[in-house]
Amino acid sequence: MKWAYAVAAVGALVLPVVLAPGQLTVFILLGLSAMAVVGLSLLMGYAGQVSLGQAAFTALGAYTSGLLSLHHAPPLLALVAAPVAAALAAVVVGVPILRLRGHQLAFATLALQILLLSVLSGAQWAGGAVGLQGLPYLSVGGFELDQDLDYAYLVVGGVLLVSLIAHRLVHSRVGRGLRALATGEMAAEASGVPVGAYRLLVFAVSAAFAGLAGGIYCFFLGYLAPGSFPVLLSIEYVVMAVVGGLGSIAGALLGAALITVVVQLLTSLATQPGMPSYAPSVLSYAVYALLLIAVVLFVPKGIVPTLRRSL
Amino acid sequence: MPALLTVSGATRRFGGVYALRDVDLDVAPGETHAVIGPNGAGKSTLFKLIGGQLVATAGTIAYDGERIDRLAPHRRARRGIAIAFQDSPVFRGMSVAENVMVGAHAITSAGPMSAILRLPRHRREETRIRGLAAQALDRAGLSPWADQPAESLPLGRQRALQVARALCGAPRLLLLDEPASGLRGPERSALAALIEQLRGEGLSILLVEHDVAFVARLADRVTVLDLGQVIASGPFAEIRTDSAVVAAYLGGPT
Ligand SMILES: Nc1ncnc2c1ncn2[C@@H]1O[C@H](COP(=O)(O)OP(=O)(O)OP(=O)(O)O)[C@@H](O)[C@H]1O
Ligand SMILES: [Mg+2]
Repeated sequence: MKWAYAVAAVGALVLPVVLAPGQLTVFILLGLSAMAVVGLSLLMGYAGQVSLGQAAFTALGAYTSGLLSLHHAPPLLALVAAPVAAALAAVVVGVPILRLRGHQLAFATLALQILLLSVLSGAQWAGGAVGLQGLPYLSVGGFELDQDLDYAYLVVGGVLLVSLIAHRLVHSRVGRGLRALATGEMAAEASGVPVGAYRLLVFAVSAAFAGLAGGIYCFFLGYLAPGSFPVLLSIEYVVMAVVGGLGSIAGALLGAALITVVVQLLTSLATQPGMPSYAPSVLSYAVYALLLIAVVLFVPKGIVPTLRRSL
Repeated sequence: MPALLTVSGATRRFGGVYALRDVDLDVAPGETHAVIGPNGAGKSTLFKLIGGQLVATAGTIAYDGERIDRLAPHRRARRGIAIAFQDSPVFRGMSVAENVMVGAHAITSAGPMSAILRLPRHRREETRIRGLAAQALDRAGLSPWADQPAESLPLGRQRALQVARALCGAPRLLLLDEPASGLRGPERSALAALIEQLRGEGLSILLVEHDVAFVARLADRVTVLDLGQVIASGPFAEIRTDSAVVAAYLGGPT
């Protein structure tokens, strides 16, 4: 596995310099998805809960950063506020929902996203369906990040940060409790693991990661619209997490990379002349469905855990 | 000396069926108290009421002078109650040692922030937890398998692993639900020796076990359950001749 990390590290450092501008954008979006997926993978792998509306937290983070910077908050503060706002929202949603068993969280988060999107589309203070425009670049200590290359490295840093936090969390007292409750809730709780609080913690952490991705996205693009955070994005996150392997940080990164590349290839196919305008979205839904079925059938644990086992 | 654990009038119904009906039982400090009875008598149900995994239909449970029957299971664990369940699998995807370390949750408290920032508190507690786990593994005879995946252990050792996990939280009251089931001769006597040793250290133990010789050797007192009700209680020598007990259990097909 060591060499795989080395390849990934070299790739993350070298790719931004060698990629063409359009590809660099894809690289940045890939990194942002990876950040959200690391969190989602923790949530699904350890809390045993699915979030079908995780992109709601990306949107919340993005709009938090966007609105704050439009109101002249220091950009760095606006960026930091993104994960905080997303985590707070997760706590508010999670407290009543995580008490329940089963898949209530999946529906609740999906509902949250649909609600959020419709509120944002209707709200004047959020720019309505047009969204927020003319957002400033991120600047840190007088240095303005105004190149795609800057954001590429910012995103690499974001992925590293999120992975480090997830890794440290998993390899700790709290992490052992989380891993235990995933396969033996009763015994974990009887050992002193506060199951509800830990579930809420992972949910909030996963939301914070998605929120941070949203914050970076806002500064990178310079404009935001509700349409940037469709339910399809949430589904994409879920597919990425499942394909890579739940509860695996490396899996989350690999899943994000793999799906992004596949979807890019398909999009370029679907936007060929003569293809109907709905081709891209129909194709991506179909691919998500097929990939999900293939993974569930052939590598139910996801790619990275399966590779680990067979090495 | 006041009892460490007092169960009064404990009743638990599943639909129309009484799994437990008006059960009284207490455990004195340092006592090893066995609960015996035929299959379906309600022994595991009683344990889960004490641990908080099930809520009683009626009755109260007091521990260390305070009622605990409204407390969440993890809070009861923090008060010093540890359980090795009859029917709980090991934590999969974790090593034997990590499984045991989970047991230390009850007596440690480093939170997510100290883990993420790797604060001194996190390091201190990790060292302590490793020490406690090594000790518990050693006592349960599991040290040679510490780094193996827990689910790769044979079933008997998985039972021993549950005991080690419970011990790792340094409990004051240890509940063991059929810890010897699936164990072979030598493992069984090693477990009996461990329980004897724990009793010698002053730990209070509540033990469910079908093996009568095992119970006779270890228990200061025995409570006999049948169809959810206490039919006898006292030192083993007394209850073994009790006609109701002989009819319901000891004289049965076991
Ligand atoms: N969750 C449940 N739902 C419905 N009935 C239950 C449940 N748990 C236990 N029971 C019933 O309660 C009764 C007591 O079960 P319990 O598991 O406490 O018995 P036990 O004495 O531990 O038996 P064994 O020696 O087989 O472990 C049984 O009739 C059982 O079928
Ligand atoms: Mg039982």
